[in-house]
Amino acid sequence: MQAEHETERHPALRAATELSAIIGADRLRTPEGREALAADLIVEPRNADELSKIVFKCEVDGITLAPLGGARTLAEIRRTHVTLGVSLARMSRIVDYEPEDMTVTAEAGITLGALNQALAANRQHLPLDPPDPSSVTIGALIGASKAGPLRLTEGGVRDLMIGVRFVGHGGRIVRGGGRVVKNVTGYDLMKVMSGSFGTLGVVIEATFKVRPMPERYTIAMLSCRDPATAFEAAARIHDALPLIHLEVASPGIAQNLGVARDRFGVIVGFCGNRAEIDYQSDKIRALAGDAEVEVVRLASALRLYQRLRDFTLPVPGISARIATLPASLHRSLQDCAAEFCAHAGCGVAELFMPGELAADEAAKLVARWREVAAVARGHLRLLSAPPAIRGGLDFFGAPGDGVLALSRRLKAAFDPVGIFNPGCFIGGI
Amino acid sequence: METNGSGASPIDEHLRAELRAIVGENAIVQRTSELKVYECDGWTIEKSRPDLLVMPRTTAEVSAVLKALHKRKIAFVPRGAGTGLSGGALPIQAPVMICTSRMNRILAIDLANRRVEVESGVVNLHVSNAVKADGYFYAPDPSSQMACTIGGNIAENSGGPHTLKYGVTTNHVLAVELVLPDGGIVELGGPVEDRWGYDLVGALIGAEGTAGIVTRATLKLLREPEARQTLLAIFPDVESATRAVSATIAAGIIPGAIEMMDRLIIRAVEAAFHIGLPDDAEAVLIIELDGLAAGMDERLVRVCELVRGCGAREIRIARDEAERANIWQGRKRAFGAVGRLAPNYATQDGVVPRTRLPQILRAIAAIAEHYRLRIGNVFHAGDGNIHPIVLYDERDPDEVRRAIEAGRDILKACVQLGGSLSGEHGIGAEKIQEMPLLFSPDDLMVMTELRRVFDPDGRSNPNKIIPTPGACVEVTTPHRQAAL
Repeated sequence: MQAEHETERHPALRAATELSAIIGADRLRTPEGREALAADLIVEPRNADELSKIVFKCEVDGITLAPLGGARTLAEIRRTHVTLGVSLARMSRIVDYEPEDMTVTAEAGITLGALNQALAANRQHLPLDPPDPSSVTIGALIGASKAGPLRLTEGGVRDLMIGVRFVGHGGRIVRGGGRVVKNVTGYDLMKVMSGSFGTLGVVIEATFKVRPMPERYTIAMLSCRDPATAFEAAARIHDALPLIHLEVASPGIAQNLGVARDRFGVIVGFCGNRAEIDYQSDKIRALAGDAEVEVVRLASALRLYQRLRDFTLPVPGISARIATLPASLHRSLQDCAAEFCAHAGCGVAELFMPGELAADEAAKLVARWREVAAVARGHLRLLSAPPAIRGGLDFFGAPGDGVLALSRRLKAAFDPVGIFNPGCFIGGI
Repeated sequence: METNGSGASPIDEHLRAELRAIVGENAIVQRTSELKVYECDGWTIEKSRPDLLVMPRTTAEVSAVLKALHKRKIAFVPRGAGTGLSGGALPIQAPVMICTSRMNRILAIDLANRRVEVESGVVNLHVSNAVKADGYFYAPDPSSQMACTIGGNIAENSGGPHTLKYGVTTNHVLAVELVLPDGGIVELGGPVEDRWGYDLVGALIGAEGTAGIVTRATLKLLREPEARQTLLAIFPDVESATRAVSATIAAGIIPGAIEMMDRLIIRAVEAAFHIGLPDDAEAVLIIELDGLAAGMDERLVRVCELVRGCGAREIRIARDEAERANIWQGRKRAFGAVGRLAPNYATQDGVVPRTRLPQILRAIAAIAEHYRLRIGNVFHAGDGNIHPIVLYDERDPDEVRRAIEAGRDILKACVQLGGSLSGEHGIGAEKIQEMPLLFSPDDLMVMTELRRVFDPDGRSNPNKIIPTPGACVEVTTPHRQAAL
């Protein structure tokens, strides 16, 4: 009697009971760690068919669900829980890898770290590099369009994903694209799914173009007394050389990375054969103006790259990503007055405001940053904020009316019942 | 033939008057004789005339035209320069054609940010030409780049020889201004790198004009590489040439382009342009390396070693810009050269994983023999994107039938080898029947739902990409017959 009463009150318990009957109780568990910030109950399907049944059932009963990889993205931005978190930990195989074709197909539960470990045997990699790849699943990579320093040359998920399978509305298992590197057969569902934050369905498998690992990876570090010197040097170097990444870090972050002390750091990644490395190192020194330059190679360069890639806000606070026209980034960052790590060639930067902020202070700060981005014809996305102050913060900002109307129509077409990660994307989608 | 197969024309005097008021008398074409030019694009097997052609000059005009059509529920087909190769601009139950070629202004060049903003009727090559002197270029470079428009490139997600290294249209378009089929104007994307919200720009590119009419676009520019080396390698057989492609890429070298031509094409090119290709060569590869001048020699030596190791019997390295242009002339004008061999040709555009190139080329040879046709191959070997050229004579109905069937068999072979129907030309009218080879009914249903997000009534370029039972029976067959 008591148990029945409980299931009526808690959709999660009712869902658990009913889903157990469909796919077996061993596929269900309570949330662990960060998952508890985003979902009431976790399901771990073993294959597409099981997930299809789960989605079908959720749609019939109006149970909300969201894909959770390492539960990093949604744990940072959801204000309320979804009933069901979908973990693809049991769907994490590499389905097909053809080194000579330079394509790989993998299930969405595999982590980027594990995938790249497999590709490394052929000196190849998937050049998408958000922080801590060993805890980022391919599903999360796609859902949140995660990228890092390599975005300068390799682009983002949308530029590398050539095929996708997802479980969508009605439990349909849908495929787009293929495993060839150039393909215009049918509508580009890869673009639709990338950066959609799980609001259109659950991605279960993807095919990517992979790239050769950079040859003789080298970093030049510049230490500059003020941001103008740093950004000007970065612009000159970017204009002259085909770099693989280019960052400008504010003093707090430059120090943390070991690049500079009390100064702004410019971190220039490049590669090539021996002649090219020598030429580029010399050229960077010549273009650095009066900044101090230090060149690090091979293993040391790789260690620094990893620190750069993995840098996240170490203490409570707010982090955000601003995107502006590249030439306006310096000015915008000055106006934001925060610690930053800027992908200078792309016009994208992560902003960090450490410390405990009251809810209204945080809202004002984000609004101000967003205003700065708008002036530079760009936008700002909040990446993380402490749960206590999340309620009053808009993580995405509002697009224009026309875009919002199309976005709502897209959401309604792919998720008519509204079960897929509702209420935490642009415009409240 | 009236209203391209849909019965009596829905275009009455009221509509004509309204359109005249919007765009002016000289921006409307309605005489049958003048409309004949627009009865097909680069896919010439099927032909169908629009009832009326409108050539607006501004976004506002496009919007007003589409509102007038929306009121009357009349379908339309967008057209750029008409160089498409899959019948994307063929009107099928679409009485009105809207041509964007008069919207041809480059609006803003922003070199500091590597952006250019253009109207959609701007010719592809004009973008690169406008920034060339400053050392920049626009990467997608389809063979038709002297004529094709950016709007057409966006519709088809066009590629070109240099997309192996630099990507296709979708990788270089940041924002578009789109006029929806109801006449509403919407700005998608923005000038900044990081996309935000749903990637509606990405969803629209390659949608073959089924989402409305793109009127403006913001494109990314790239820095011209400091140095280029172009080499031409001659092989005794096609297989060793394909091995050389894989070997180069497996060595971690991504050339700016790797193009292949087979024996039939080599002979046609030589006959037309006399660039000194040996008569008995079975395959040639054009490999273009680009990057820093400093390391170029070392890289060139490495590629030559690899290519020779795979069996190349001769390698010619372009010593200057004139020689480079000469090598590329053979490739870029191969289609024109083939025009001398037969009255008509149809180009296929299947894709296979690069490692399956030998198999697909064998399959194409067998198909040519089976259908008693001549088929040449000139293609983007680096991406596995084949371009078999099927020669035929449109005055011979049986040969036309065999050409169509051979094309279908080639596409089936591509799919069987793990490939796809189209690498860069689009599905259009040409390959619509083959879509179920690759996609399930559920896949196609979801794609239809995506299309309806932009075009709920299906009036923008109807009967393209996704096969619908009604359209197949009623429309396509009579057209094929008409073409025969």
